[in-house]
Amino acid sequence: MSGGLLRLVWRNLWRNPRRTMIAMTAIGLGYAMLLFVACLMAGLRQQMIESGTGLLLSEIEVHAPDYYPDRPLQRTLGGRDGTDVDALVAAITADPRVQAASPRVYGGGLVSATHQSAGVQILGVVPDVEQTITVLQTRMVKGSYLNGGMPKGIIMGDKLATMIGVEVGSEIVLLTPAADGSTGNDLYTVAGTFHTGLDAMDRTLVVMPLASLQELLRLPPGRIHEIGIKLHDIDEASATVVAFEVQLSETFPVRVRPWQELAPELADYVQFNHRVTFILFFIFFLSAAMGIVSTLLMAIIERTRELGLLMSLGMRPGQVVGLIVAESACLAAVSLVLGGALGAPLLWYLQVHGLNLGGEGDDSVSLGGIVVGPLWYGRPDWAAYTQAAVGLAVTALASALFPALRAARFRPAEALRKV
Amino acid sequence: MKPNILYNSVPAVGLLAMLAAEGAKAIYAASVRTIEGKAACFSMRRKKAGVAICLGLAWLSLAQVSQAAVDQRAQENVDRVSRLLVSQSSIATVDMQITKVDWQRTISMQLWTLRDTNVLVRIRQPQEDAGTAILKVGAKAWIYLPKANRTVTMPASMMTTSWMGSHFTLDDLVSQSRLSDNYAIATSFAGQRDGVAVFEYTLTPKSSAAVVWGKIVMEVRESDLMPVWQRYYDEDGKPVRELSFSEYKTINRRLIPTRLVMRPLDQAAEQSTITYESIAFDTPIGAEMFSLSKLKQ
Amino acid sequence: MAGVLLLAKIGWRNLWRSPRGTLVTAAALGLGLTLLLTSLGLLDGSHDQVVGNGVRFGTGHVVIQAQGYQDTGSQELLLPAGVVSATEAFLRTENGVARGVSPRLLASGLLSSAANAIGVGVMGVIPKEERAVSLIPERIVEGTYLDDDQRPGVVIGVELARKLAVKIGGRVVLMTQAVQPPGTETANAGEGEMQSSLLRVSGIFRTGVQGIDANIIQVPLAEAQTLLGVPGRITQIAVLLEQEGDAPMVAQGLQTRLTGVPVEILTWREAMPALAQLMLLDEAFNYVMNGVVLAMVGLGILNTILMRVLARRYEFGLFSALGLRPAQLAVMVVGESLALTAISLALGLVLGLTVQHYFATSGLDLRWFFESSLPDALVFDPIIYSRLSAARIASSVGIVLLMATLISFYPALKAARTKLPDALKVF
Repeated sequence: MSGGLLRLVWRNLWRNPRRTMIAMTAIGLGYAMLLFVACLMAGLRQQMIESGTGLLLSEIEVHAPDYYPDRPLQRTLGGRDGTDVDALVAAITADPRVQAASPRVYGGGLVSATHQSAGVQILGVVPDVEQTITVLQTRMVKGSYLNGGMPKGIIMGDKLATMIGVEVGSEIVLLTPAADGSTGNDLYTVAGTFHTGLDAMDRTLVVMPLASLQELLRLPPGRIHEIGIKLHDIDEASATVVAFEVQLSETFPVRVRPWQELAPELADYVQFNHRVTFILFFIFFLSAAMGIVSTLLMAIIERTRELGLLMSLGMRPGQVVGLIVAESACLAAVSLVLGGALGAPLLWYLQVHGLNLGGEGDDSVSLGGIVVGPLWYGRPDWAAYTQAAVGLAVTALASALFPALRAARFRPAEALRKV
Repeated sequence: MKPNILYNSVPAVGLLAMLAAEGAKAIYAASVRTIEGKAACFSMRRKKAGVAICLGLAWLSLAQVSQAAVDQRAQENVDRVSRLLVSQSSIATVDMQITKVDWQRTISMQLWTLRDTNVLVRIRQPQEDAGTAILKVGAKAWIYLPKANRTVTMPASMMTTSWMGSHFTLDDLVSQSRLSDNYAIATSFAGQRDGVAVFEYTLTPKSSAAVVWGKIVMEVRESDLMPVWQRYYDEDGKPVRELSFSEYKTINRRLIPTRLVMRPLDQAAEQSTITYESIAFDTPIGAEMFSLSKLKQ
Repeated sequence: MAGVLLLAKIGWRNLWRSPRGTLVTAAALGLGLTLLLTSLGLLDGSHDQVVGNGVRFGTGHVVIQAQGYQDTGSQELLLPAGVVSATEAFLRTENGVARGVSPRLLASGLLSSAANAIGVGVMGVIPKEERAVSLIPERIVEGTYLDDDQRPGVVIGVELARKLAVKIGGRVVLMTQAVQPPGTETANAGEGEMQSSLLRVSGIFRTGVQGIDANIIQVPLAEAQTLLGVPGRITQIAVLLEQEGDAPMVAQGLQTRLTGVPVEILTWREAMPALAQLMLLDEAFNYVMNGVVLAMVGLGILNTILMRVLARRYEFGLFSALGLRPAQLAVMVVGESLALTAISLALGLVLGLTVQHYFATSGLDLRWFFESSLPDALVFDPIIYSRLSAARIASSVGIVLLMATLISFYPALKAARTKLPDALKVF
């Protein structure tokens, strides 16, 4: 596009500054709002995922190849095939994307108090390390989370405690099939109870120190079932899994899974949410098209004489179309910049301060597996920002076609006569 | 997000299954009914049948009569086998050796049974588990753990799957039901195998029998009607497990196989073996034997 | 002084002086309303769908159980007799509010096959009723759901089928312990033996929820009652409503109807708190979305109206020169706007309701937008059905009307301030 035409386009836009300003503001504001929503929703998704994976699952889990989902006791990392678990954990933690990695052991059996027994899933963790990847410690209702001081201390779901009639300080027996075929059993003390809001966890989960569980299960220290991983950026989950599967498999036989595979229902909902947001994009494009078409049509009608003049001076219909379309493109471009400028502080505020929707379950922040507090933080979603911009540009060009074609059909002689 | 719904109807049942499948200690109940009377009766009947057959040859077709007799005999033989180690009450000393892919174990225990509802097991070996006792009365069960010095309640269903981690189920060892109650019995072979005269019976489940097997095939020695092996098939005709009998001894005037080996047919390396050191049938056992207080002794 | 009526007539004729312009503007405004109605309908619909799906995997919108069942889950806690009839009687008086009522007997048991034995949660259901309430009947992937005449059979989840290595028609044995409801003789604790019964797998379902696919089985209610030794008794009644919003009212009504009976009546928010939390989230999300859509539509209206008016300086100058006073000019402009808005709303309403109706019946298939990575067993339907209540329609129309009117004050003011003779200049 020649410089001259560009200058013409620009001048044309500003010939009626108010009209142009209004159109630009409208589209710009629309874009800013889109950015706002995209950012907010990205933040929301992040919070949901972190919340859903932060209690028991983790963002990525590493297992022996045939371990998940049936969880046979014997399919451990380490032990049978000589895998050095410490080296594995070190290799994982060394990756810059990883925030922390926590080893875990699982057992299943009975918990028994004086009169009642119940079937439970038993999880063994290293408390200090586990707290860096999950947040169960924030859900304690009575007593305290595991700490190094009590090797025979366990914590359990509050509903479980009610079911078997125990409290903090009560003594219980854990009974579980051990790795050597015997029945592991021992006495433990209830150090605390937690409430997650997830019935399955509150009714059937017991958590205890990893070493104690290994002892109960007659598993040697070098054998664990799972390594839970938390990343700095959860969006990296899938990519990290792929990388790990390639990289780790060279030395250790493992299978790596992202949270999407471990919690497909959560992944479903997040995807669903994401898609619904796109409906919004669609609406934005339509309203923008609405605005552009009406603006341009008005402009054409107003500039009938001018266009007639141009055409009688030799401008070809094709060039007229080009001119109008270029004006539209220019309008869109400036609006985008304007929208971006307007939106940037909004986005900054969202990401740093968050949006307080106070009243949305504020005193029930600790309920439910997904806890998203009344404060929503935003997260940049460059993909969405770009898609919106591109979509808008396309819409602008497309909407300009109708008015442009109308203009191209002016007959110079008639046009000149218009008042 | 779809949280784990249906809390109401999903307690930790799935986890119980894990425990059951892996093996919680279970109670072994074996009632044994005396077969001596039956044996006497049977040989009488045999004589009678023999006479009847000879006479019948005169005016009934040989095939018809002998077929009926053979079927009747087949049913009796099969029922007899399933009652060999079962009686009103019994006290036994048993060794069980379990070989699994990941571990091996030998347990030595004492068993008391009363009908098929009450079972008491006390473990003697290995040392670390000595004193562990399991009691089952009806649908309830308890286990006493010496190390923790505690008695724990257990759901009885846990024992109906793998018993003590072995390949046997409680039903294998205790069930009083006659095979003929649930299965239709046909003789599929009669003759010599490896120089021994045997009968082979094929059992197919009756229409509403609550059994999982598609069919059971068993081989029984003709001479003393001792079982040699039993093979369990699923509905597609695939053999799933095989129980072999050996080391036949006469104990308390009863001839029984004292060595039972159960092999899963999809895992070549695994098997469980039960060896009876001693067994006494129908000595009186009081009901108080099967009480919680007895568990701890 | 030209009466308001005269102004109105002039205003109307103004509109039609450039019919094409007017129609374009009306179309643009109407489109705004259409967009608003469509997006509201889809958002509301998707929200209801998420709730609907959630409760259909669980205990429905309202559930009636024996007191204490929610906390303990003890299968001995059965509903007293007569509750079912009382419930149905009540729901009959509230015409059309319930979509389905399913009485269920819940217990735990052991399901064995030749290959394996797994602990399961047993649901005894009446197939016809359960179909109206639960999603399991709709997620059968192999075989068929239970018979309406309650012939013996069992449906199990894919995970369970895999672990038990059974196919359709395969043999499984269900072992349960007879339930002893409180009040019956329990002297010989544990004397009752386990009951076994042969079942043939009639159908296999896949819900996508691991906990259900690996653990839950459904058998005909009569069968379950026999197995558990509790003829005529049930554990809970799950009620599915047409509208989620009716749940509190129905629960309240049932509570009144059943005072004195030891039952607990829970809405889904109480019975499934995790789902309730999710819904709060979803509601907040929708709240934000609606706000944004409204704002965008508002901007579109702003753009359109202003465009239209700003081009008429000359015209206003003429009116002014002919004697119309500023106030009258303002009124005329506002009147025009109102008339225009009315036309637009009519157009928008017609188009909007048509589009909404399309989405309400055929639904919006989100897969259109995302061919990628949709897992097979989607817990959520990828098709959103629109749902628009009369209240929503009324408020949308009201808001657009309000916005258009407010926006038109600006050009009205501008018109009033028309300065002669500048306005009469052609260029």
